Amino acid sequence: MFARRLGPTARLLIWLLVGASCVVLDSRYRALEGVRSGFSLLLQPVREAMRAPAAVAAELGGFFTRHRLLQKERDTLLAERARLIAGVNAARDLARENAELRALMQLQARPGQQMVRAASLYQGHDWFSQRITLDLGAGAGLRSGLPVIDTIGLVGQVSRVFPGASEVTLVSNPDQLTPVFVERTGQRGLAAGSGHGQMELRYMPTQTDIRPGDRLLTSGIDRVYPAGIPVARVSRVSRSQSSPYLRVECLPLAGLDRSRAVLILIAEPRATQP
Amino acid sequence: MNAAPQTVGGWRRILGSLALAVLLEQLPWSGWALALRPDFVLVGVLFWALHQPARIGFGTAFFLGLLADFQDGAVFGQHAIAYAIGVYLVLFLRLRLLQFDPFRQAAQLFPILLTVQLAVLLVGWLAVNPPTGLVILLPILSSTLLWYLIAGFVRLWHGKGLRGQA
Repeated sequence: MFARRLGPTARLLIWLLVGASCVVLDSRYRALEGVRSGFSLLLQPVREAMRAPAAVAAELGGFFTRHRLLQKERDTLLAERARLIAGVNAARDLARENAELRALMQLQARPGQQMVRAASLYQGHDWFSQRITLDLGAGAGLRSGLPVIDTIGLVGQVSRVFPGASEVTLVSNPDQLTPVFVERTGQRGLAAGSGHGQMELRYMPTQTDIRPGDRLLTSGIDRVYPAGIPVARVSRVSRSQSSPYLRVECLPLAGLDRSRAVLILIAEPRATQP
Repeated sequence: MNAAPQTVGGWRRILGSLALAVLLEQLPWSGWALALRPDFVLVGVLFWALHQPARIGFGTAFFLGLLADFQDGAVFGQHAIAYAIGVYLVLFLRLRLLQFDPFRQAAQLFPILLTVQLAVLLVGWLAVNPPTGLVILLPILSSTLLWYLIAGFVRLWHGKGLRGQA
C-alpha cells in the first residue's frame, strides 16, 4: 500500500520541477506559445459568451438614464458637431493643399494607415504583465508590434497574436518603453511603465525644463508609433540627491483600465527603397 | 471523524463547480471589481482537494494554474506552481481543517491563500525580473550548513555523538 502512492511532499516536488521547467521554457525560450494558442482557441468562445451579462447590465443601466440627461447630451453633441464640421472643412482644405504641395515636391505620401476597431475582451490580473486581451487576432491582419490607441491616447502595443484574439502590453508595463517628446518644449525622452498603472519619464537631466501638467506625445522616431499620439501627463517632478536624473512621474492619458473599445493602427510595412 | 465530506459530490459536481469557476473568471472584470475578485478557480481546487483528495490533486491544480497563467498573460508556470503549493498545504492540514466549523476553516485557509499569492509573486518576480539570478538563494545553503555546524558543535560540547537521539 505504501509503495503504490507517493507521499504529498514527493508529489509536490515533482510538480514544482514541472512548473519550474514550464517557467524556463516559456520565459527563456518562448517554447510554449503553441499551448497559449490552444488555450486561446479553447477559451475564445467562452469569453465572447461571458461578455453577454455585462452587455445586458449596461443595456439595463442605459435604459434608466434620465431623459433630461439625454437631452442635455444631445444639445452638447449638436454644438460639438457644428464645431467639428467647421474643423473638417478646414482640414479637407489643408489636405488638398498638402497633396498639391507633395505632388509639387515629388514626395512620397506617408504609407496608408488603416484603423481596426477591437473590443477589449479580458483584463489580466497579474502584477508583472499589465496586459489586456482583444477580440481580434491574426485573422483581422494583426501582427505583433502594432500600436493600440483609444479615443484619448496610446494604450499599448500588440505583443502576442492568436488566431482569434490578441494580447496588448499596456504602456504602464514596466518593460514597455515608449519614445515620447514633451509637447511644450519638444524635449525627447523615453517613457516606461512603473507599475501600479503609472509611468515615468526616464533619464531626464536635472536641469530639464519640465513641470507637472506637461503632456507627453509619441515622438515617432522608433517607426512603431506614429508621431503625436498623446501618451501621458506629468504628475510630479522631483529630484533626488543620489541620482543625476529627475524623477518624473506621469499618468497615462488613455483609459487603460476603462476603455472597452480600442483602435489598432495597421500600417503597411514600409517598402525599402533600393 | 467527519464522514460527511467524503459523500460530498461525485465527478459531475466536481467538474461542474470547477467549470463554473473558470466561467466566472471569464467575465469581463475591471477596475475595483477586478482588484477584489476572488480567485474562484483556486478556491474551487482547494475545496475539492480538501474533500475529495483522491480525485482532485496536484495534476488538476497544475493544469488550472496553467489556465490562470494564460488568462493573466503571465509566464506559464507562475500560477501552476502556486496552486500546487496550495494543494500541498491543504493536504498537509487536511485532518485539522476537516474538524473546524466553516468560520474557523476560512480563518485557517487565510494563511494558505496568502502563501499561494506570495508564491505567485515570487515566481513571477524570478521569471520576469530576475533580480540577481539565483545567487540570492546561496545564503540559504550556507545558513543550513552553519546550522549543522553549530548544532553539531553544541552536541559534541556536551559529550554526545553526532548521531542518534538528543
